[in-house]
Parts: sequence; C-alpha cells; structure tokens
Amino acid sequence: MMECQNALNLVPSYQDGELSEVQAAPLRQHLLDCFACRERAKAEVSLKRWFVPEPAVAAPTGFAAHVARRAFAGDEGLREVTLRPRALPASDQLLPFVLKLTALAAAVLMVLALALRSRSLPESDSLEATSLSETMEYMQALNEAELETGLDLNERDEE
Amino acid sequence: MQPATTEDADLVRETLEGNQLSFQLLVERYQDRMFSVVRHYARSAVEIEDIVQETFLKAFRRLDSFQHQSSFSTWLYRIAVNTALDFLKRHGRNPVTAVEDPELMQESGRYGPGVAAPDKGLEREEIARITNEVLEGLPEIFRTVLVLREFEEMSYQDMADLLGISIGTVESRLFRARAKFRDALIRLHPEYGAHEEA
Repeated sequence: MMECQNALNLVPSYQDGELSEVQAAPLRQHLLDCFACRERAKAEVSLKRWFVPEPAVAAPTGFAAHVARRAFAGDEGLREVTLRPRALPASDQLLPFVLKLTALAAAVLMVLALALRSRSLPESDSLEATSLSETMEYMQALNEAELETGLDLNERDEE
Repeated sequence: MQPATTEDADLVRETLEGNQLSFQLLVERYQDRMFSVVRHYARSAVEIEDIVQETFLKAFRRLDSFQHQSSFSTWLYRIAVNTALDFLKRHGRNPVTAVEDPELMQESGRYGPGVAAPDKGLEREEIARITNEVLEGLPEIFRTVLVLREFEEMSYQDMADLLGISIGTVESRLFRARAKFRDALIRLHPEYGAHEEA
C-alpha cells in the first residue's frame, strides 16, 4: 500500500500525464482507497482550472515577411537598434542629400559675396572729400573757360 | 513535441543557404506559438510583437548553431523565453530570479493551502486577468514552468530540454510553482481560498 505522502508527491505528475502505467496504477488504487488524498487531488484539479486557454494572439498581417526582410537586411533586433542607427530607406536618403547640397550652395554664394564686396571697397582707409569752396572755384574756372571759348567761336562766325 | 521535422530541417538549411522565403515560412509556422508564450511576460500587444520579432531575429543569427538534436520549436521556445526574461530585466520588471535564493528554495509546506476553482459565473477574460496578475508576481523561474506546462502543455522532457535542467528539477520546480501560485492567489483574492476541503 502506497503511503499518503508518496501518493501526494505523485499527484501533480499523474495529472500532467507524466507517469508511466507502472507508476500510475498504485497511485490510482491509493486515491480510490484514501479519501484525504482524493480530496487533495481534487484541489489540484481546481488549481488547474485557473489556467484557462486564452484567445489566440494573432500575429499582425505580414509579420513573417517583415521579420524575414529585417533578418536578411542584417537587422540585429531591439537591443542593437538602440546602439546602431538603422539604415534609412531610399526615399528618406534624398532629404539629407538635398540639405547638404543647399548648404554647399549657400557656402559658395557667401564666398562670392565676400569677394565682390572686397573689390568694391575703397582702397584707402581715409574718407576724404573735396571741400565746397574748392569745388565752386573749379566750377567757376570751367565756366570762364567755356565763355572764352564761346566768344572765340562768335568772333570766327562774324569773320 | 516531436523532434525536428524534415520540413523544419529543410527550411533551416535553405535559410542558411540564403533563401529568405524559407525563413519567412519558418516564422509563419511558429509565430502564433511564440506570440502565445510571450504574452505571459508582456503587458501590451506592442511589447509582445517586439519580443517575438527579436526572438526570430536572434534565431536567425544563431541558426547555424542549431544542432537538430532537439526540435526546432523547443530551440525557438528557449530563445523566446530568454528574450522575454531579458526584456523584463531591461524594464526593471523582473521579480526575484535567483534559483539559489534561499527563500525560493524553501519547501513550500508540501501542498500548502488549497484553492477553489474559479466561480462558474466568472468570464474567461476575468479568470485570465486574475491568473496573469498572480503569475506576474511570481519569481520568473516559477512563472516560466507554469506557463510552459499549463498554457503551452509541454511535457516535462521538453521543459527540461528547453530550460536545460533535469526532469526531476522540472517536477520539483513545478510543484513549488503551484504552491507559490496558490499562496499568491489566496493573498490577492482571499475569497478563493475559503473552500479548503482536505
């Protein structure tokens, strides 16, 4: 006759279907004969009822194809993703190219602008201007010279 | 669980030869089982999907080390469980894990208190919610054996292969896991410990 403690030790494996018939037969007999062990075994069945099969979790559509693509693209998974930036798709590679090109064009324009500006600057650092009186004298001299020239022409016409 | 089927072995070989479609077929074959086991470690659909993806990516990277000595599914389950446990650690959600922890190694008073079956009126979703709540509080070594046995219905031998332990250890760990589950269930929901009959 199997002892109660031995029987109780075997009950979980029995209920899990893990005992051979040679092991299960004496246990079965013990449970038939022993009310206390039989009740204990029933309590084990109660425990199992807490593990109800849950509705299946369906993988998203296209999951396998997506994973296979990642695997063959050399993607190393979650941990590595945080360490290594993921390769951008072709469409996303255009934007950085355009930005670089724009920056280069801006730099060239700036160099050109600086070169042109330097050529238009005065050669001397001093900012000197002709005084008003000198300008007036210069203008008057011009007028006088013009008048004289005008008289000479009139005289020639009369002749 | 059967040893690696010829078809699995073929798909593995073709994948190693560079055939992407063969790997896609392997993923399709096992994705539902992986989603099923991983959901007991994650809290949202996004987390489940991330863990399962990482499981398959790890499997792909290590495919050349698959020896065909155990079934492909056992090998894959091992990666899934380890990936899920890594995920819990990274998110600081891992209850005590050390097998050597003296508290965990204590005998759980043989059967401990009994628990009642869920009320008949309780919806499946509510039962699942309570069970997952209890499982989440268990040390991972106990949670894992309960998930593999009770939800995935794995044999002791497959669990031993997967976890790299002996069948005797599977038995004793399962025994203690059930005792812990009962204790935690009664602690969280005392109403289910009221029907001790033995």
